[in-house]
Amino acid sequence: MKKIKDYLPWIVYFVFFLGILVVNPGTHYIHLVARIIIFSLYAVAFNLLYGTTGLVSFGHALFYGIGAYITGMLVKATSPELFLLYIVLGAVGSAFVSFFIGLLTLRLTGIYFTMLTLAFAQLVWGLTFKLYHFTGGDDGIQAIAKPEILAGGVTKYYLFSFIVVTICIYILWRIRRSPFGTVLNSIRQNPQRVTFLGLNVYKNQLKAFVISAFFAGIAGGLYAGLDGSIHPDMLHWPTSGNAILMATIGGMGTFFGPVVGAGILTGLEEVVGKYTEYWSFYIGVVVLIVVLLFPNGVLGIRKFSSSKNNEEKETEVVCNSGN
Amino acid sequence: MKHRLISLLIIAAILIPFTIVQAAETIKIGALYTMTGRGGQYGKDSEVAIKIALDEVNAKGLPGGAKLDVIITDDKNPQYAVSVAKRYITDEKCKFLFGIISTAIGLAVTEVSKEHKVIFVGTDHAGTDLTANKFQKYYFRSSNNTFQSMMAGAYYLKDEVKNWKKIAYIGPDYAYGRDQWMELKWGLDKLGVKYQVVGEYWPKLYEPDYTSYITAIIKAAPDILVNGMWGGDTVAFIKQAKPYGLFSKMKYFHVDAGGNYEALAGLGADMPAGIIMSARHHNNWPETPANKTYVEKFYKAAGRYPSYAAEGAYVGVHMVAEAIRKVGNANDTEALVKAMEGMKIPCPEDPQGFTSYIDPKTHQIVQIQAIGTTVKNDKFPPAKYMLGNFKVYPADKLWPSFEYIDYMTKVKGK
Repeated sequence: MKKIKDYLPWIVYFVFFLGILVVNPGTHYIHLVARIIIFSLYAVAFNLLYGTTGLVSFGHALFYGIGAYITGMLVKATSPELFLLYIVLGAVGSAFVSFFIGLLTLRLTGIYFTMLTLAFAQLVWGLTFKLYHFTGGDDGIQAIAKPEILAGGVTKYYLFSFIVVTICIYILWRIRRSPFGTVLNSIRQNPQRVTFLGLNVYKNQLKAFVISAFFAGIAGGLYAGLDGSIHPDMLHWPTSGNAILMATIGGMGTFFGPVVGAGILTGLEEVVGKYTEYWSFYIGVVVLIVVLLFPNGVLGIRKFSSSKNNEEKETEVVCNSGN
Repeated sequence: MKHRLISLLIIAAILIPFTIVQAAETIKIGALYTMTGRGGQYGKDSEVAIKIALDEVNAKGLPGGAKLDVIITDDKNPQYAVSVAKRYITDEKCKFLFGIISTAIGLAVTEVSKEHKVIFVGTDHAGTDLTANKFQKYYFRSSNNTFQSMMAGAYYLKDEVKNWKKIAYIGPDYAYGRDQWMELKWGLDKLGVKYQVVGEYWPKLYEPDYTSYITAIIKAAPDILVNGMWGGDTVAFIKQAKPYGLFSKMKYFHVDAGGNYEALAGLGADMPAGIIMSARHHNNWPETPANKTYVEKFYKAAGRYPSYAAEGAYVGVHMVAEAIRKVGNANDTEALVKAMEGMKIPCPEDPQGFTSYIDPKTHQIVQIQAIGTTVKNDKFPPAKYMLGNFKVYPADKLWPSFEYIDYMTKVKGK
């Protein structure tokens, strides 16, 4: 019985993302769900840091953007036939950059870590904006072709994205349930205790940072192929903010919460944006409601009443306050 | 029998008009504009102009009694704009994509237009790329590109400004600012003007404080300062440069967006007299009935005078309507493209005896450019200065320039 309960989110995941193909609501909605599934990977990857390790990075757009730019620029420079390889190279590029940024930023905790990640992301965003002969500047890069096998209709690309994202999410799921995932959880709850157990907090945080950046890079590369265009906004702080919003709305304490958050935020943007230019106001209201009424997010409602005892909560607050 | 006949007549009387109403098709145009933030005024002005144009077009009539309608969505960023453009085509069944303030978003949406083979009428973004190195056959533009402004500017500097050699440039550090400078220099070189660049300054877009740039420019002492800013940046720069006496130390030259009504109104009495400016539309030039009527209609509808963005949207709706009239329907995209190529389209900014037209090879509207200097004029409040002393540059001298397109393709790629 426990087994079925454990796999229930996966069942819902498959039913929703494959069911959309059976229902076939039209090209636009398949494109919309393709965006949701790609953002899901971005948010789940981010949540490995945020929800699991307790690190609030406000610069995750950097890794999403690097993945997108490496993939897009390689396709433009060569041919789209090696698209999948370029996505992987984009992710490797993100991981490579994250390693050095992580080396510096993870020396700090709390708000200092958050601000430093924001600073690095804004720095690269500024460079992307300025180096317009190389990156296309604010115009970005367009006409990023897909390989022939994925061209012609959004359904093929949706299926491709679904397969890639599902594999990635599965890997992240396994990581979270592995001993390494338990260490990350422990770091979130009480880093001092982890140190006393003989484990290196810094090294484990760095590993989580690089893994998270790697998968965010894959999401960026996938998005470059979906729209066929990339632009500096992908590296800008609102994109980092979106990752935090998705995880918070869906439930940062749950593995699938960010997937739900990605669906809610993208769907809301779509629906509200259709009727009013003041879409951000309504999104703000929803976030406010979620934060005030469901502090553990939509999927965290169930956990809210039962899980953490007061001692555990207090320990987390103290350990992550940066003091 | 008699009762039955009367009943049938009543039913027919009810159903026939209903059937006619049902038969009249609504042709949807899917527009994207920046409706909030710094560029929001351009979107709001475009919205007003679209309503005016729709009233005119629908009053004149379209084939089969069809009506034209425009849906507007805030474009936010390229990622979101692409998604909305796709929704317009596949879900809302829009026959045309329309609008867009930012060139970056225009470049992203032109790919959607190309992929789905749907006509995209760009009404405000001015990046030359879209009708040059990034041209695709379903894209048309109803307002001039930056090359047309800067080429006219090069002619102005050659013919109207005497005894100058040193030139400096300040413009926002992104493609729009960079391209204007590249285009002006190309135009000056082409015209054989000898000049010396004594400074290039690249503040970021929406920079709040230009003091360091202003002092550096004064120190460099150019004969001419070219400015490539737009909107609130123009207002802020001029307000901050005035106390330093910058405008009396050098000629100030700002010809793509400097003379936009938005800046004239924003500066009011702070606008220096005699500085060289232009815009893609002028509320006080040409003094033709068409321009006066357009400006009056806009004022009546909005309670304010239009910025240049409005004219592009107004002309764009008329372009679409004219193409539908020529083809007889809005379903044959290839025929609509053919109909728009070379189409003559009267614009409020056309002086007597000239009609703007769409260049068949690049799909860029070809228009006369007028460059003027600021003079006292309070007929369009809250502006206290408007442009006057206009010098007019023939449309065909400005576009197309295939030599420049080749150059741009070499520099920026396809």
